[in-house]
Amino acid sequence: MSTFGNCARVLLAGGAAIWVGSTALAQTSLEARKYNIPTGMDGSPLFAAQPFTQKMLMFEEFGTKPVPTEECTNCKVVVAPSDCNKSMSPDKIDTAIKQRLFPLPTREANLSRPNPWQTKIGECLGWQLKTSYIEGRPPGEMYAHQRYDEFAPKVYFQSVQSGARTNTGLRDSMQLHGYKVGEFAPGGLYHNTASGSGFGGSTNGIAIRMHPKMPVQDANSVWTFDGTLPPKLLMARVGEPILFRHFNGLPINVAANNGFGHHLITTHEHNGHNPAESDGFTGAYFYPGQYYDYRWPMQLAGRDSENVNATDPRAGMPDGAGGVIKIRGDWRETESTHWFHDHMIDYTAQNVYKGNAAMMNYYSAVDRGREGLKCHYADPANANLCLPSGTGLDWGNRDYDVNLLIADKAWDSKGQLAFNIFNKDGFLGDQMTVNWAWKPYMDVRARKYRLRLLNGSVSRYFKIAIVTDKGVRVPFHMIANDGNIMEHAVPFPNAESKDLPTQAIAERFDIIVDFSKYPVGTKLYFVNTLEHRDGAGPKEEIPLNEILSGKYKGDPAVGKFMEFRVQAYTGQDLSMNPADYVEGKKKMIPLPKIPAADLAKAKRRTFEFGRSGGTDETPWTIKTDGGDGLSADIQRVSAAPQMGAWEIWRIESNSGGWSHPVHIHFEEGQILTRDGRPPPIWERYARKDVYRVGPEPNSSAVVEVAIRFREFAGSYVEHCHNTQHEDHAMLLRWDILNPGQTVAIPTPEGGWEGMFYEPSYVLPTWRTGRGTGPTPASTTTNATTTTTTTTR
Amino acid sequence: MKWAWPSCSTHLAGALLAAIGVWLLWPVVAVAQSPWGRDYWPNVTLTTHDDRQVKFYDDVLRGKIVVVNFIFTNCGDVCPLDTAQLKRVQELIGDHAGRDVTFYSISVDPENDTPKAMRAFMKKFDIKVGWTFLTGRPDDITLIQRKFGLEPAGDKPTAHSTTIILANEATGQYVKRSPYDNPQMLANVLTGQLNPKGRGSGSRLSYADAVAVATDESAQMFRTRCATCHTIGSGDGLGPDLLMVSSRRSPEWLARFIREPDKMLAEKDETAMAMLPNFRNLAMPNLKLSEQNVVDLIAFIDVESRKAMEARAAAQHGEHHHR
Repeated sequence: MSTFGNCARVLLAGGAAIWVGSTALAQTSLEARKYNIPTGMDGSPLFAAQPFTQKMLMFEEFGTKPVPTEECTNCKVVVAPSDCNKSMSPDKIDTAIKQRLFPLPTREANLSRPNPWQTKIGECLGWQLKTSYIEGRPPGEMYAHQRYDEFAPKVYFQSVQSGARTNTGLRDSMQLHGYKVGEFAPGGLYHNTASGSGFGGSTNGIAIRMHPKMPVQDANSVWTFDGTLPPKLLMARVGEPILFRHFNGLPINVAANNGFGHHLITTHEHNGHNPAESDGFTGAYFYPGQYYDYRWPMQLAGRDSENVNATDPRAGMPDGAGGVIKIRGDWRETESTHWFHDHMIDYTAQNVYKGNAAMMNYYSAVDRGREGLKCHYADPANANLCLPSGTGLDWGNRDYDVNLLIADKAWDSKGQLAFNIFNKDGFLGDQMTVNWAWKPYMDVRARKYRLRLLNGSVSRYFKIAIVTDKGVRVPFHMIANDGNIMEHAVPFPNAESKDLPTQAIAERFDIIVDFSKYPVGTKLYFVNTLEHRDGAGPKEEIPLNEILSGKYKGDPAVGKFMEFRVQAYTGQDLSMNPADYVEGKKKMIPLPKIPAADLAKAKRRTFEFGRSGGTDETPWTIKTDGGDGLSADIQRVSAAPQMGAWEIWRIESNSGGWSHPVHIHFEEGQILTRDGRPPPIWERYARKDVYRVGPEPNSSAVVEVAIRFREFAGSYVEHCHNTQHEDHAMLLRWDILNPGQTVAIPTPEGGWEGMFYEPSYVLPTWRTGRGTGPTPASTTTNATTTTTTTTR
Repeated sequence: MKWAWPSCSTHLAGALLAAIGVWLLWPVVAVAQSPWGRDYWPNVTLTTHDDRQVKFYDDVLRGKIVVVNFIFTNCGDVCPLDTAQLKRVQELIGDHAGRDVTFYSISVDPENDTPKAMRAFMKKFDIKVGWTFLTGRPDDITLIQRKFGLEPAGDKPTAHSTTIILANEATGQYVKRSPYDNPQMLANVLTGQLNPKGRGSGSRLSYADAVAVATDESAQMFRTRCATCHTIGSGDGLGPDLLMVSSRRSPEWLARFIREPDKMLAEKDETAMAMLPNFRNLAMPNLKLSEQNVVDLIAFIDVESRKAMEARAAAQHGEHHHR
């Protein structure tokens, strides 16, 4: 210990010996100690890096290819790493990703071949597997792809989840823009992919580091898609079913994780209208050496009941040639900005923090990623909203449409990503990153941009202001909430909020900022104004002037975290003006209307998130429909909506002082009320999939949501997206039942030798909820007026 | 956060590990080693139920797959259930118990929980191998709780955290679960996920078998709250066999005893008191069940009793027939 003399032992009055870090290396003051940030560790050293000196990384596209129809004859299965403590080797990963899809996908899990790493696994574990399978999907009909022939995958992409390594430019040629179009072409703002030279038109050579002055991340500190940065983006078209083959290339030795993260993974496409077998159920995890085929149908909700003849030109996908391929379903269910991330039971927070997260943009007739082509603003009969994007490609232009993954992180004295696995109230980092870059800058043209902001933190909420270098607020519009384009654009500042509303973990806000209002050379900033003291939830909004003047010295993640540098623009901005789409003016995507008669007969369910149990210090629990406070048990089905009908789900926080961003899988809902009142303007016209409850700004203790479930069935979950709460039991399973289904499907449970099943069981209220009709006057937790028909 | 995380020690642990475990040895020997090792855990001295002095890190945690919970032997409700639940988990993992999985119950009331008191508690639950009860200095136990990320109980043992920790120190895995989890799922974690050498011990239903199985909440309630001590027709366990219990006791008595056994014992209810000596004086804990829970449970026991009786009758009939 003596070699670590920079720590002084202090005895607290309570008798517990604690260590207090020195300020020499850790650039946090003792003052900041009362903030417990980063959670349970010393401040992250900065290695003399200065803010806003590195270029932000733009997302790198996975790129999709047509699904082959014939089995590849000279393809090979993935090769095991030679070292039990290492991920699959970089050259083998590149080979696997470049190779054609092999073996061909199957409707039921492919059990016809062994795990290709079987021998090596036996060697590492010290015992030989009796059985093993190439695919980790649970076997049989229950996890077979639903409606497979109908939504057979048309395109696919594959990636290997693996340890940090240097990018080899593997996907350069898979980018839609090919580094030849628009701002990605030579001379464009984004042709160079990283700070420094040698990155023209390629990501080859990009290592995983938070800043060029900071150390490169060890292979077991960061695990991500391909093992590389930039972070990855799936460009998807509505109506075009996709197959994602996710290989698990992580170390066989579970201990080889530099202190956090688990080598078992399951991948959740957040808010996808996906059948349960491809939703990334928390118990449907797979093992190193295996793959899991996720098949995302990409269908509009309501496909079976609305626009069944596919005549509505607003329901469709770009055809690549200026037209639209019309599809069935309700165009008002069109989705836009998603992400997919790990959902491993007990380990979601660690795995997502470690890098198992990607973004996904849906392109459609209304949100085509192409401005100036048959724009809605020119003729209301046109579907294309012409959001800021670009003109070089038929769809999916990203010149002026930028994905931003914002997350707090922390690293140890060696600069290696670090996480405290023991804290169960929430984990906070002390450093802000955007697209994994610590406090980066980004060059922007003097024109309108669409920025897609994702909060990818574990426990940190943001409230983001945009200011000039003079500290003046920059006006902007929010156009999409949780990745769904709203009925109306919402201007900021507005009467209800000067800056963006509170953005909890997993919430996505798409905004339009017009940089043409500022002279070339102007610098603008993202500023986080929402203070935390610990991971339990946000504390308060700090006044902007206190932050910008340097007076505020508290939470180290409060303050400026990204810089925009305005550059000259000689092109023509053909994107829509969001001011034409505010309340009272034109509509972007109208909310699906819920008939009053349907609401009146809607089934009601209540979910109270809090702490309860036998003692004062009790685990996180959820009370469903006035029942007992229960912790997560994936064998228990708490609710089982029937397909098709509207339901009203009431989400409450019953734990004073605690905030919970509650995420319901599969389907977005409409917020009917917050604490009995209409929701704020940015939620009034929105379809949401994360519902904040708690005392933080722009929230309420209770939120009522109208939601319905169509087309697909199976086991889904609902949980607190403060992933530390989720991992400590604040999660419940609900199933969508097929018509006539009376028995809950079994629960997958796995081992190296394969996935098996455990029985499932149900709450007495699983079908009935709390009955139907108007909100009961009493909302107490022990209301006994509810229907409790048993299920036997 | 009501308490200050021992901030630097974590960092120290990370730094030390990095220095020793990775940076000096790597890449010569790429040893995967958890930062949550010797430098993270306090190596304080604790006393076992059989009066041995042990070091918390060296003897209790190091290199082991462990189950750790915090209890106090005077606890009226949750702790006995926790203990009974863990006993059930121990049974489910079979010969892993004591071989590669060690159970620890650490007292949060060290003043009262002497080795003798702990031995008496263990005797009540008929605890034998692979399970050590520990007591020690209050400050040390507080520190251990904090290191696990649990709120220390302080001088109010009733407020202690009931979280069960399932861990493998060697691989740096720490899973927190509730005492009300299905014991089988806990057993699966211990013998599967946490054990690199383990195959898992789940019921391992094939797809075809699994679709036929489904149960409801009262079955699960029985499995997680009652089955640790009681069977329905398979004989006495820690508590009496409940076969046809509705025909042996009045409905009022039965409902009340399931709901608040502690009160009835305190009132010296004759029937309740008469049972105690038959079960090592192990009192039934108050499980904090709702009235509806109790109604559902009794209905479940009745149905299962009838099934058991029918099965017996059928078996007897079969035997008779064969003769």
